[in-house]
Amino acid sequence: MFLEIKDLSVKIENKNILKSLNLNINKGEVHAIMGPNGSGKSTLANVLAGKEDYEILNGKIIFKDNDLFDLNIEERAQEGMFLAFQYPVEIPGVNITPFLHSAINSKRKRMNQDEIDNLSFAKLLKSKASDLGINIDMLKRSVNTGFSGGEKKRYEILQMSILNPDLAILDETDSGLDIDALKIVTDGVNKLKTKDNSFLIITHYQKLLDYIKPDYVHVMVNGSIVKSGGSEIAAEIEKDGFQKFQ
Amino acid sequence: MNILDNYQKNKKNIFFTENKDVQNYREKLLTIFENDRFDRKNNESLKNINLKNFFDFKYKYLVPEEISVINNYQDDNYSIVSINGQCSNFKDDKIEITKILDEDYNDFSKNNIIEKNDHFVNLNSLFLNSGFKIVIKKNNNIKIKISNIVTDDALTIFQKNNYFCEEGSSVSLIEEYENKNNSTSNILNVIKLEKNSKFNHFLIQDNSPNHNLIITSHSSCKKASTYNQKVYNFSEGYVRNFHYSKLLETNSEADLQGIFFLKDNNTSNNKTFVKHLAGECKSNQVYKGILNDRAKATYFSNTHVDQVAQKTEGYQLSKGILLSDNASYFSKPELKIYADDVKCSHGSTIGPIDENAIFYLRSRGMSKIAATKMLISSFINEELSSIDDEQMFQTIQKKLVRYLSKVK
Repeated sequence: MFLEIKDLSVKIENKNILKSLNLNINKGEVHAIMGPNGSGKSTLANVLAGKEDYEILNGKIIFKDNDLFDLNIEERAQEGMFLAFQYPVEIPGVNITPFLHSAINSKRKRMNQDEIDNLSFAKLLKSKASDLGINIDMLKRSVNTGFSGGEKKRYEILQMSILNPDLAILDETDSGLDIDALKIVTDGVNKLKTKDNSFLIITHYQKLLDYIKPDYVHVMVNGSIVKSGGSEIAAEIEKDGFQKFQ
Repeated sequence: MNILDNYQKNKKNIFFTENKDVQNYREKLLTIFENDRFDRKNNESLKNINLKNFFDFKYKYLVPEEISVINNYQDDNYSIVSINGQCSNFKDDKIEITKILDEDYNDFSKNNIIEKNDHFVNLNSLFLNSGFKIVIKKNNNIKIKISNIVTDDALTIFQKNNYFCEEGSSVSLIEEYENKNNSTSNILNVIKLEKNSKFNHFLIQDNSPNHNLIITSHSSCKKASTYNQKVYNFSEGYVRNFHYSKLLETNSEADLQGIFFLKDNNTSNNKTFVKHLAGECKSNQVYKGILNDRAKATYFSNTHVDQVAQKTEGYQLSKGILLSDNASYFSKPELKIYADDVKCSHGSTIGPIDENAIFYLRSRGMSKIAATKMLISSFINEELSSIDDEQMFQTIQKKLVRYLSKVK
C-alpha cells in the first residue's frame, strides 16, 4: 500500500474534525474526495502534509512504509508528498528560484542524490514554466505575491512538476479558476501522471473530474468517508448534491 | 547621578570650557540635569536602558596618538579614519575637513541644542571632547567612507560632527562603527544641505556587546535638497539611533530608514522625526527590526506638518519580527498635521514570523530553520536590494549571514 490511513480521528481547538477516517491509495491511482463545506477535506490535506495545529486523537497513517507521524513537515515533502494549497501563501521578498532550488536539493539529499547546480535548475524551471504557459517574468516575482487566483494555482502546479512528488494532494485546486485556467492546470496535472505516482484530489465539484479522471471517488461527510466508488458518484453528486449522504 | 561633579572634575579636558558663552550654555544644561527626575516611563530617550551606565559614568578620554588617515584614493572618493572621534585636517577643491579644535567656536555654537527630553544630546554638548567639520564644496559629487575607531577600553567619546553641503553638491557617506572595546560613543551629527544638494548617508553599526553607541543627527534641507539616511544595525551592544530632519524650503526631501538585528539581551532605541516647514516636500520614515532571545527595541516616528507646508507627502512604517516570546518591540508612530492639503500615512506591524509561510516553505521540503532564515532575508529584501554599492552590499550580506547563523 502506498498510502494507508487507518481509523484517523483529529481535532482542533476542542472540535473533532476527522472521525475514524479510513482511506487506502495504491501507486498509480487517482483518488478524488468530494464533500460539502466543513466536512474536513482540507483538514485531511493539512494533516497529511504535517500542519502542526491539529491534535491526532487516534489512528495511523502509513506512507511508503513510513509511519507518517514520525516524519515532520519537510521530511514528508522530501519523501515525496506534495500539497497544492487551496490558498497559496503570499511570501513577499522570496523568489521562487532560490526557494524551489533549495527545496529540490533537500529532497535529493534525503534520497542520497547529487544536488542540482544553479544552471541546470534554472533550465529545468524555465522549461517547466513554459509547459504550463507561465511567463518567464513571473519567475522573477516573489512567491504568489500579487498573483491572481489562476496564477497562484498554476504556480502550485509548477512547483509540483519541479518536485515531481510520489503523492500529490490537490486541495480544491479548481476553486477560483475560470475554464481556461482550469484546463491549463489540469493539463499540467495529467502530464505528471505516471504509473509510479498517485493523486488525491479534493474538490466540491464534478467539473475538475471531467479533466482529471479519477480511479476512485469518495464522499466525505462530517469527518468520515461515507461512500466510495467510481466516477459515477461524482455524477450523482453533481445531480443531487450532498444532501443524501448526510 | 552627579553629573555636575563629573563635569567639574573633568572640564579641563573638555572642549571650549574657557569660552564664556559655552559656560553659560552648559550652566543651563547642568540645571536641566539637576532638576530632571529621569522618568524612564515617559521619556523616549531613557526607555529600556540602565541609567547608571549612561549617567553615572567615569569620564575618560584619550587624545589619539596616531594620525588618522584621509586618503583621496581616487579622484572623487575619500577614505577617512576617525580615531576617538578625531581626524586630521584636509583640503582640496572638492572637500574641506577641519578638526574641531581648529574650528572657530562660533561655528559650533550655532548648533548648540538644548533638549528638554533628550539627555544624551545634552550630555554630548556638556562633555564635548572630539569631532570635526566636513564641507562638500559647490557642485561637486563625492563619496566618503569614514571608519570610526575607538582605541581603548572605558573611553567616553562625546563627538560632534558638522556636515555642510554647499549648493548643488552631492555626497554619499558610508560610516562604519565596528568597535570591540567596552567604551561609549555619543555622537551628534549636524547636517546642513544647501539648495539642490543631496546627501546619501549610510551607517553600518556592528559593535561588540560592551560597546555603547549613541547617535543623534539633525539634518536640515533647503530648497530642492535631499537627505537620505540608511542605518544597518548589527551591533551586539546598545545602540541608539535618533534622527531628526527639518524640511526648511520647498521641494526638499528626507528619507530616514533603518533596519536592526538584535539578539541575546541587547537593546536598541530608535527615533525618527521629520518637520515639514515648507510646502511640496516629501518624507519617508521606515524602520524594520528582527529581534531574537530577550532583545528589546523601541521605535518612535513622528511627522510634523506645519500649517504652511501644503502639498506635503509624509509616510511612516514600522515593521518587526519577533523570533522569541521573550523579545519585545515597542513602536509608536505619530502624525501632527496643521495643513489641510497633505498626503500622510503611518503603519506598524510587529509579530512573530508568519507560521503559514513557514508551513508553506516546509511543505516543499525546506527545513524549519532554512525557511525561517529565508523569511527573515525576505523581510529586509527591499532594503538589501536597494544597495547600489557592491562592496557595502557584500559587507551587509556577511553581517546578515552571521546574524542568521545564530538563529535556531
